[in-house]
Amino acid sequence: MKEEQALVDAFFFALFFLGGMLLLDRVFRHFTPNRKNGPLLVLFPLLLSGGLVWAHGQLLTWWFDKETDYQELVSTSFFYRWVVFALAFQLLALLAVVISKLAGQEELSRREGQLLQLSKEAELAQLRQQLRPHFLFNSLNSIHALVLASPQRARDMVLLLSDFLRGTLRTEGQSWISMADEIKYLSMYFDIERVRFGHRLLVDLEVEEGVEALKIPALLIQPLVENAIKYGLYGTLGEVKISLRFRKEGNYFQVSVENPFDGQVSVPAGTGFGLSSVERRLFLIFGRTDLLEKSAAKDLFRVHLKIPVAG
Amino acid sequence: MIKTLIVDDEPLAAGLIKEFLAPYPQFEVVATCQDGFEAFKAIQYHQPDLIFLDIQMPKITGFELLELLENPPAVLFTTAFEQYAVQAFDAKGLDYLVKPFSEARFAQAIARFLIQHQNAAGYSAPSAGNSPLLPGKSSRLVVRVKNELKVIQVQEVRYVEADDDYISIHTGEGKFLKKMTLKQLEESLDPEKFARVHRSFLVNLQEVAGIEPYEKESYLLRLRSGQKIPVSKSGYARLRQVLGL
Repeated sequence: MKEEQALVDAFFFALFFLGGMLLLDRVFRHFTPNRKNGPLLVLFPLLLSGGLVWAHGQLLTWWFDKETDYQELVSTSFFYRWVVFALAFQLLALLAVVISKLAGQEELSRREGQLLQLSKEAELAQLRQQLRPHFLFNSLNSIHALVLASPQRARDMVLLLSDFLRGTLRTEGQSWISMADEIKYLSMYFDIERVRFGHRLLVDLEVEEGVEALKIPALLIQPLVENAIKYGLYGTLGEVKISLRFRKEGNYFQVSVENPFDGQVSVPAGTGFGLSSVERRLFLIFGRTDLLEKSAAKDLFRVHLKIPVAG
Repeated sequence: MIKTLIVDDEPLAAGLIKEFLAPYPQFEVVATCQDGFEAFKAIQYHQPDLIFLDIQMPKITGFELLELLENPPAVLFTTAFEQYAVQAFDAKGLDYLVKPFSEARFAQAIARFLIQHQNAAGYSAPSAGNSPLLPGKSSRLVVRVKNELKVIQVQEVRYVEADDDYISIHTGEGKFLKKMTLKQLEESLDPEKFARVHRSFLVNLQEVAGIEPYEKESYLLRLRSGQKIPVSKSGYARLRQVLGL
């Protein structure tokens, strides 16, 4: 008989305990007490545990209504049981509140991240807009000049410009592009600039074997090269050599871009060189700030970019 | 003969202007320059009547070049940037040709110049010091040192003092004069970086080392380089605001 009592008691005790836990969890997940109703966090578990233990006692008294020994035990153990319930519920309530707060924060930071991303993208697009029309109209002006003087070159330029624009329009919506495409567009870009600026642009392009197959985020290398052109070609006179190196080392795809600049009139490296959009983009994609290195020595500006690649 | 100078860093663009000028025998192209420094020298040497001026160029911009000229010739701006039109108007450019432009549009600009040129007496050359700088946007200043040009980055400026029609710009390298008013300069600089602390003084806030009381209701500003600058009552209020005192 004793054994049956213990089993039934334990069964209902556990059932009530679980029920109380579920209720508490539900309540405090959705309702986070603030400073004003903070005492609820203590009071509610306390009352709930008291109520449940009392109800448990009533149930068991009714169940074993003939066993006075047992009824005696139930009433004397009331406070012990209450303490056990109350402690456990208190802990659970606290945990539930903490978890719901953390979840809320996570949601908040996720949303913030999305907002940031959106604004950065808008900013990036705007940055690119600043260079694009200028580049486009000056190129059209070159064609305008070539039409009479050198019709064949004018035709070549029209085709080059069309291919380049088609390529950039196609990649605009994509977030990852292949290096083979990137290199193709870069070469077209250089060819167009060579038409505009005569032959004072020299490009030293070094591509390690196998690099073409890599996929990299769009809009990382182009801005570096446009930057090099802006300070190197638009900003100085005479022959300009821009060096580009693409190689893979370990888990990184390494890009280095070198261009001369006019130290007499331009701000030295790091401040005015308009690379912050690339830095921000790197941070958004890889969560790192150490992937882009800039250095300026004498009249040579150098950028080194590391892009993590799988395998 | 109308002495004409073409300033453009793209040879094809300069070539096109020459081509469009060919039907007008009265124009003589005296030089073609690829940057502002070269153009400055050519203007001194040839004293042209008309310049075709690109805006974005190596060294200094077309606007910066114009600021430095005492008696600038007539200017026709040629650029791919539409957004400089207002500035070009402020700089008293005769016309603003947006690349690429048609031969007909070019002819219009030439006609406009010829009308101005024929009533030369009625045409007042743009006065120097009429700054076409963008408000709050300047990052550098171009000054003349004898017959050479020098570019000063604004962060190198310690303070600027008004000096009649001129301003004297004090940097670590020394003092440079420029024909401009302090008000014009103040408007062209970032108000968070430069503050007008006195009728005659504009200070780079990064250079400020401390403020000490001077006489009744006036103060002295101590710069990192050691100089002391008088601060007026309203200048002190402005300083407190920008420095968040």
